[in-house]
Parts: sequence; structure tokens; C-alpha cells
Amino acid sequence: MIPLSWYLIVSAALFCIGLFGVFARRNAVAILMAIELMLNAVNINLLAFWRYRTPTEPIGLAWSIFVLALAAAEAAVGLALVISIYRERDTVIAEELDTLKY
Amino acid sequence: MLTFMTFFPLIGVALILLLKPFNRESDELIKRIATGTSIVTFILSLVVLGMYNRADPGLQLVGRAVWIDVLNIQYYMAVDGLSILMVLLTTLISMLATAGSWTGIEHQVKQYFVFMLLLEAGMLGVFLAQDLFLFYIFWEFTLVPMYFLIGIWGGARRVYASIKFFLYTMAGSLLMLLAILYMGLSNDTFAVPELVAGRSAFAAAQNWLFLGFAIAFAIKVPLFPFHSWLPDAHTEAPTAGSIILAGVLLKMGTYGFMRFNLPLFPEASVTFAPTIAVLAIIGIIYGAIVSFAQTDVKRLVAYSSVSHLGFVMLGIFSLNNLGLQGAILQGVNHGLSTGALFYLVGVIYEKRHTREMSDFGGIWRAMPIFSALTLIITLSSMGLPGLNGFVGEFTILMGSMGSEALGPYPWIYTAFATSGVILAAIYLLWMFQRVFMGPLDNPENQALRDVNWGQLAIILSFLVFIVWIGIAPSGYFALMDETVAALVRSIGSAVVAMP
Amino acid sequence: MNPQSLLPSVPEFLAILPEISLVILIVAVLAYDRILKPAERRRVGLLAAWGSIVILLITVGLWVLFREPEPNRSLVESLMWGGMIRNDLITLIFRVMFLVAVAIVSLISLDVPALQRGEYFALLLSATIGFSLMAAGSDMIMLFLAIETASISLYILTGFLTDDRRSTEAGIKYFVYGAFASAIMLYGLSLVYGITAQTNIYVIASLVAQSGAIPPEINGLFLLATVMIVAGFGFKISAVPFHFWTPDAYEGAPAPVTAFVSTASKAAGFAVTIRVFAAGALGAPNFDSEWWAMLVAITIVTMTLGNILAIFQSNIKRMLAYSSIAQAGYTLIGLVALTPDGSGAAMFYLLMYVFTNVAAFGVVVLVSRETGSDDMQDFYGLSRRAPYLALAMLFALLSLGGIPPTAGFIGKFFIFKAAVDAGLWWLALIGVLNAFIGLYYYLSVVKYMYLYRSDDEEERIPVSRAASVALALSVLGIIYLGIAAGPAFEWTRQAGAAFFPFSG
Repeated sequence: MIPLSWYLIVSAALFCIGLFGVFARRNAVAILMAIELMLNAVNINLLAFWRYRTPTEPIGLAWSIFVLALAAAEAAVGLALVISIYRERDTVIAEELDTLKY
Repeated sequence: MLTFMTFFPLIGVALILLLKPFNRESDELIKRIATGTSIVTFILSLVVLGMYNRADPGLQLVGRAVWIDVLNIQYYMAVDGLSILMVLLTTLISMLATAGSWTGIEHQVKQYFVFMLLLEAGMLGVFLAQDLFLFYIFWEFTLVPMYFLIGIWGGARRVYASIKFFLYTMAGSLLMLLAILYMGLSNDTFAVPELVAGRSAFAAAQNWLFLGFAIAFAIKVPLFPFHSWLPDAHTEAPTAGSIILAGVLLKMGTYGFMRFNLPLFPEASVTFAPTIAVLAIIGIIYGAIVSFAQTDVKRLVAYSSVSHLGFVMLGIFSLNNLGLQGAILQGVNHGLSTGALFYLVGVIYEKRHTREMSDFGGIWRAMPIFSALTLIITLSSMGLPGLNGFVGEFTILMGSMGSEALGPYPWIYTAFATSGVILAAIYLLWMFQRVFMGPLDNPENQALRDVNWGQLAIILSFLVFIVWIGIAPSGYFALMDETVAALVRSIGSAVVAMP
Repeated sequence: MNPQSLLPSVPEFLAILPEISLVILIVAVLAYDRILKPAERRRVGLLAAWGSIVILLITVGLWVLFREPEPNRSLVESLMWGGMIRNDLITLIFRVMFLVAVAIVSLISLDVPALQRGEYFALLLSATIGFSLMAAGSDMIMLFLAIETASISLYILTGFLTDDRRSTEAGIKYFVYGAFASAIMLYGLSLVYGITAQTNIYVIASLVAQSGAIPPEINGLFLLATVMIVAGFGFKISAVPFHFWTPDAYEGAPAPVTAFVSTASKAAGFAVTIRVFAAGALGAPNFDSEWWAMLVAITIVTMTLGNILAIFQSNIKRMLAYSSIAQAGYTLIGLVALTPDGSGAAMFYLLMYVFTNVAAFGVVVLVSRETGSDDMQDFYGLSRRAPYLALAMLFALLSLGGIPPTAGFIGKFFIFKAAVDAGLWWLALIGVLNAFIGLYYYLSVVKYMYLYRSDDEEERIPVSRAASVALALSVLGIIYLGIAAGPAFEWTRQAGAAFFPFSG
């Protein structure tokens, strides 16, 4: 069987890609996608831990389903906000959202 | 009884606020209610005086109840020899100040008198609270009405002055709060008598705690070099505000030293006594010298306060009977004399809308009664024998002369302080001369009318006490004798036990 | 729970009665919204407000009449629904805060035309469910779900005004930061699950307390998980350095929503934070643990930076945003004291902060509706334009600044006392210095309202009855907690003990 650490490395890599994406991308939709990547990394973690640590109880499994539901809800809300922004100013570039200034 | 007296002004506030729903609101009525309330409060304080037993050094007329059970915070009000005169002074000055602002306040009359009455309640609370937490609440609470009194009805730079006043005082208070917390925790109580009894629990940190309290009080007094808020606040405040500020609020500082610093940290008091005495003397001389340089009468009186309060501080930190008694009495004297001076300045400011000395001259001819009264009060402020100022200053100087706390040569302090008396005589007489003497050549001054009956009544009520204390001070001393003696004994025994 | 019986027992049912009632209320609000004519739109808000007041009465009534949640229950007895939630005094007190907040916020949003929609109030209530479960949750899965329920509702509420540039921008910023922070937190939670093979925080705590339960070689991983979780929680309570969203979201969101986010949401964040850390799920609650040092650093930076940045703001909502960051710092002092008293003081502080900040934002709502902006200049001469509004604002500001006799003073007193009690007098000193800085800018607003004049002093500001009731309630709360703090503090202190089931 593949050791647990392999899964964890994949998940950590995915998480870091997501993290990088949030900081590097300027398009709000791309940032959203990067966040989704991070959530998927969490899912890999949860499933791997479930399989290796608590195979008799479906804790991690149930949890990961909740995370999926959350990801869907976040995507819905996030895209709705993006659309309402786009309608108003024809842009979804993060830096151009600067009405609120320090 | 004390509780009833303290919160009585709030009944006046409630009445004033209720006028609107009943459609009876008018400035005239508000003024009447406010003045009436403060008169009744004064009478109540006389009743307290009647109930007060001068032979008992301890706390009297105790009102005590549990307030915040968990932390053992109590509602604890009582009066003793240190506070009885302060209470009388508060009610008297508040009464005169409220009555004295009958004509000077033109806008937002309702708010003004509400704040005056709130202030009176807060000040009484400060002098009566025997629980540190309760004391702190009253202490801070007095800031809010005073802030508005200066800020809304003050002079040209009122906004600046009010904020400076507020922040300065708060800065000191917050450090005091920390000290209060520390002490409260060490003994699991905030009641002052219990803390005095359980002093040993925080004796190790007492130098720091002493400073925590001392800075808060020193700012209030104000002790040099914490005085810079005072000239601004005094000058910009409306007349009644200045009267109360000088008459009562500054006494909260000196009272705090006597009520908290001395009994709670006697060893630290002895340690710091020379330092504070030196600062007090710098204050005396500095205040006097700066007074010379003033062209604004009100500012001059404000700086003279710094000088006078220096005497009070010197008296307190002589740490002996004479010094402390003189300090308390001088506190009252300063309240009366300086309060009266501010009132007089206010009267003339209302007529002429200027306070520059150069605008005046020869007022005696136009307003003989006013000028004569001013002369007496000026003389009292500089300590002429036969008037109140002399009694207080003399007692303090005697006290400092025989003080053991001030090192082997206490007479040096006395000598410097005495020079302050001389300086006071010079700058006050000089001021008097420039304003009242000389030719009456300014046409605006020629049109001045003398004081009316109402103003005369207020000035005379100040004068009655000024002369009374000057001629027969023994009755006043008798009120505090026992308490001060007990305090001095306790400091003495603590110091003897010092390693 | 008895695994054989499918029906919940009475205590289990009572434990989620407020949430059940809230769900019913949401359905009622949405249905009622459908049958209303356009002219009676504000009634939907009235229904939400009254409904939440009724639920508040039910919740408090259960406590007063039946002592439910029973304070003497052991930890095991108080864990309900298979350990998903814990029904204790903490839960009760936080529920009271949320319900008070949602009721008052509903009242002040009643007369804002853009907000008179069923969805708006339904979302407020669903966020409240989230908060309530955050306060009750004692299982990582439950906490995660509760946090997201609340957060997603709040993202929508923040961007609710779709034709207002600032509102949508605030919405998307809040959303991006929020989703990002919760993804990080979730990763941390999943690591904790992997390390301990448990999800219940109390089980984890007892496990962590055993020496050797976590092999030393993965200690670093556990610490990483802790950091990630701190980031997620720090976001909810807007602690520095996770505060970037706060000024933007507070400024752009509709003012009633800002009031809600700054009070209820923050309180809920604290409920979770204190529960997790005080229980010891991420290491024993003592001054040697790494997370403690981390939280202390966050506390100090949060107070100081919040206060200093607040000084420079010219927009009142932004100023209050930074002030709320600073206030979070004070509250954290209560947590890092790591004593039942400290946690109790933090709860008291949050309770008084609900009243105070709702009052402040309530005034901002009314003033900015009249002037059309939320610039500080709108407050010039407010005491002449609207004396009662100015008075309410004065009380709120005095309370924020910690001047007696308001609740804010007592709150700070309890917090600082707890810190000194725990030997952290230096932290109390920093807190006191910060309180002084804070006074400066709170006093500036007082100055604008009372000492400055403006040109449109003649224009009165209309105040609806609902709003005046809401403001009166908050001001009464401020004064009541300021003068008679005893019972409330006794209550929160008792609850504070429940945070620490494993010590003492």
C-alpha cells in the first residue's frame, strides 16, 4: 500500500499551488479557483487520514463531503459577487477594485 | 444621608429634563431649578456638618453596601476630618458658581445646568467614596461634564483646552487604575480602611504604587511640571467652570494625596517627601514668576493657582499635624479666594468682553464697590494677616519648618516658600494697580456700571467665609484635628518600623 | 446519548431549541415576505425583530425558569448530539449576545429602503444560527460548518446592495479574504484530525494532555496546524495581522450589516477561539505553550495597530472598524490570561461591546442616511441637529473609550484585573496605554458632535420609532452594565469556568 505521506505530499503541493495562486493571480475568478484548489487539498488530507487513521469510522469521509458542499456554496456566492462587480465596472481585476481606500 | 446629598443634584437634573415633556421648558425656570438644587445641596451639607462628630477621628456616617459581589467591590461612602471641609467647599462653590452663571450663559442653557449639577454630584462622590473602585468612577466621571463645560461654553481656544484637560487627566488616571487593580488584588478588597489595615500585602511594591497614584493626583493639583494643562483650561473655561476648576477640582488632587497616598504608602511618602516638596517649591516660585508675565487677568489668576497649590503640597508633605491642617485649610482658602477672583474677572469680562490688563485702568472710579471688594479678595489671596490666606500659609510654613520628613534642614524649604508669599504680594498688587488704579482714560471703561445686587450677594458670600476663616480659624481646624492627628500618628508609627 | 434511541432526549432537544426556532423564523420571514404588498415592506423586518426577541425570551426563560443549561453538569453530560455541541452557560450567554444583536440590528435596518427584503432578514437570521452553533460547537466538523454557515451569509449581506459600488467591492473583498482564511483554517483542522484521529475538541484536549500522545517528530506539524487555525480564528475576530478585510468590509457594507459583523460575528469568533484554546485542544492552556506566546504577540499588535490607525481615519465607519480591531485586542487579553476570570471578563466585554457598537453604528446608519455619506464631517454639530442621536453616540463613544459610568469602563476593568491577577501586569499596562490612545479618537468624534458647528444645523435628522427603540435599548444596556455589572459579571464568570474543564 502507498504510504500515507505520499498523499500528504500531494495535498501539501496542491495547497501551496492554491496559496501561490491567491497571491499571484489578479483576476478575481482565478483567485476563486485557487481557493478551490486549497479546499481540494484539504479533501485529499481528510480522505487520506480517514483511510489510514480511522478506517472504521467515516469521520473524514463525512467531513470531506461537507467540504465539497462548502466549496460549491462558496463558488456560488463568490461568482455571484463577481458578476455583480462585473456588471458595474466591467472588470474583475483585483487591483482595480479600489473605491475603498486606506 | 451622604448618598442622598451626593445624588441630590441628579434630582435637579431629572427635573430639568422632565420640563420638556410637560411643555414647561424655559431658560428662566431651568436656572431656578438648578440654583435651587444647588442651594438645597448646600443645606444638606450643613446638615451633614451638624451630624458630624469632630471628636471622632474615624469614618463617620458610613453608608455601605455590596456592589459587585465577585470582586468584593463595595459602595462605601463616609466622611471624616479630611473630607468634611472639602464637602462643604464643594457645595458652597457649586452653589455660588451655579448662581453666578445666571447671566453669563446665553446658549444651550439646559445642557449647561445639567452638566453643572452632574459635576457637583461627581465631585461630592470623589470626596466621600471610601472604596477605590467607587472613587475612581467618580473621579473619572467629573471629567465628562467639565470637558463639555470648557468645550461648549468656553473662550476662543476652548476645543484645544478641553481636550488637553481631558487627555492630561486621563493619562494620569489610567496609571492610577493599574495601581488600584494591583492593590485590590493583593487584599481582595477595594475598601480603603481595609487596605490600610492590610498594607503589608503590597508594601513591597509601594514605591511604584505611590507613583501611580501620585502622578494622577499631581496632574490634577497641578504639581510642577504637570501643570501645563491648567492655564489653558482655566483661561478658556466659562466663569463658573474656572471657579469650580480652581475651587474644587484641583482640591481633588490634594485630597487624593492625603486620603490615599499618605495612609496607604507611609514609607514611600516619607521617601518621596523631599522630592515632592522641592517640586512644590519650584511650583510656588515658577507660578509666581510666570504670573508676572501675564497680560490676561484670568491667566494671571490661573498661574497664581499653580503657586498657591505649591503651598498646599508643601504642607501635605511636611507630614506633620501643622502642615496637613494648614494644607487642608489652604485648600479651602484657595478655593474661596481664587474662586472669588475668577468670579470677579467673569463679572468684568461680561461687561467689557476683554481680559487684557492694558484695556483697563482706573476702574476704581467707575466701579468703587466692585473694586473695594476685589481689593479685599486680592489681599486674601496674597495672605494678608486677618484674612484667610494668611492663616493657611502661615500654618503650612510653620509645619514645614518643623517637618522631620524634609531632612535635617527643613527651614530651607520654608525660606524658599516664604519668598513665594512675597512674590505673590508683588504680582497681585501690580495686577490690581494696573486694572483699578491710574487714570480712567478708556471711554469704554467710563461707561461701566457697578455690580448689581445679585452679583454683590455672591461676592459677599465668598467674603463672609474669607473673613471668617481669617479671624476665627479655630473652628475649622477643630473639624479636622482628630483625623489629621490620627493620620500623622499612623505615618509616624509606620516610619519608625521602617528598616 | 443513548445510541439505541433514535429520538433525542429532552436536554438534547432543548440544547438546540434556539436554532430550531431560528430556522422556523427564517421560513416565516421568507413566507411573510411573499405575501406582503410593497407598501408594507417594513413589516418583514418587524417580524424578524419580534421573532428574535421572542427566541431571546425563550432562551433566557429556559435558564431562568428551568436552569437549562444546567450549570453543574459534568463535561460529558453537557456534550450533546454525539459530542457535536456542548450546551453550557457559555453557549447560553453567547446566544443571548447574538439574539440581542440580531434584534437590534433588525430594528435599525427596518427603515432602510434598500434592505427591506425578506432575504436580507433571512440571511441575518441564518448568520445568527451559524454564530449560535459556533458558540455551542465542540467538534471540529461542527465548528467548521457553523463558521461557514455564518460566513457565507455575511458575505452576501456585505455585498447586499448590488447597485452600490462600495458594497459589492466590500462583499468581494470580504469573501476572498474569508474564503482564503477558512481554507487555511480547514487545512489546519484536517491536520489536527490526522494527528489525533479525533474531531471532538475535548477528546483531543485530553489526548494532547497525555505525554507522548503526539510523537515528538510531528510536533512541528502540530504547531503548523495551530498556526493555520490561529489564522482562521484571527480572521473571524479581525486580529492583526488577519485584519486586512476589516476596514474595507466595514466601510463598504450597509451600516446595519457592519454593526452586525462587528459585534455578533466577532463575539462568535471569540466564542470559538476561547473554547478551543482554553480547552487545550492545541496544547495545554498554560504560559509555556507556543500558541500562548503567539496569541500574546497578536494581542499586543492588534491593540496597538488598531488604535494607532484609527486616529488617522476620516470616515466614521473606517474609524470604527479600526477601533473594533483594537477592541478585539483588549478582549484577547482576557483570553491570554488563561483563567476562568479572564475568559469571563472577555465574555463580559463582548456582551457590553454588542450594546455599545450597535448603538454607535445605529447612529451612523441614521446620520449617513440623511447626509448620504459617512464622512466624519457629517457629525459636526450633531448635538444641535439631533440631540438625542448625539447623546446615544456619546454614550457609545464613552463606553468604547472606557469612561465610567458606562459598561466599557467596567469591561476594561474586569479585563485588566484578570490580566494583573494572572501576573500579566505588563500586558495590562500595554492595554492601559492603548486605552489612552483610543480615548483620543473617540473624543475627537465627541468634539465634532458637541463642540463644532456646521452649516446645516437647522436640518433635523428624522429618527423612526423602531430605530429610537433600538438605540434606547442599547444605551440602557450600556448604562445598566456600567452601573450594575455585578449579576452579569457573576454570570459570565461562572461561564468562564466552563471553558477550562481540565484544569483545577
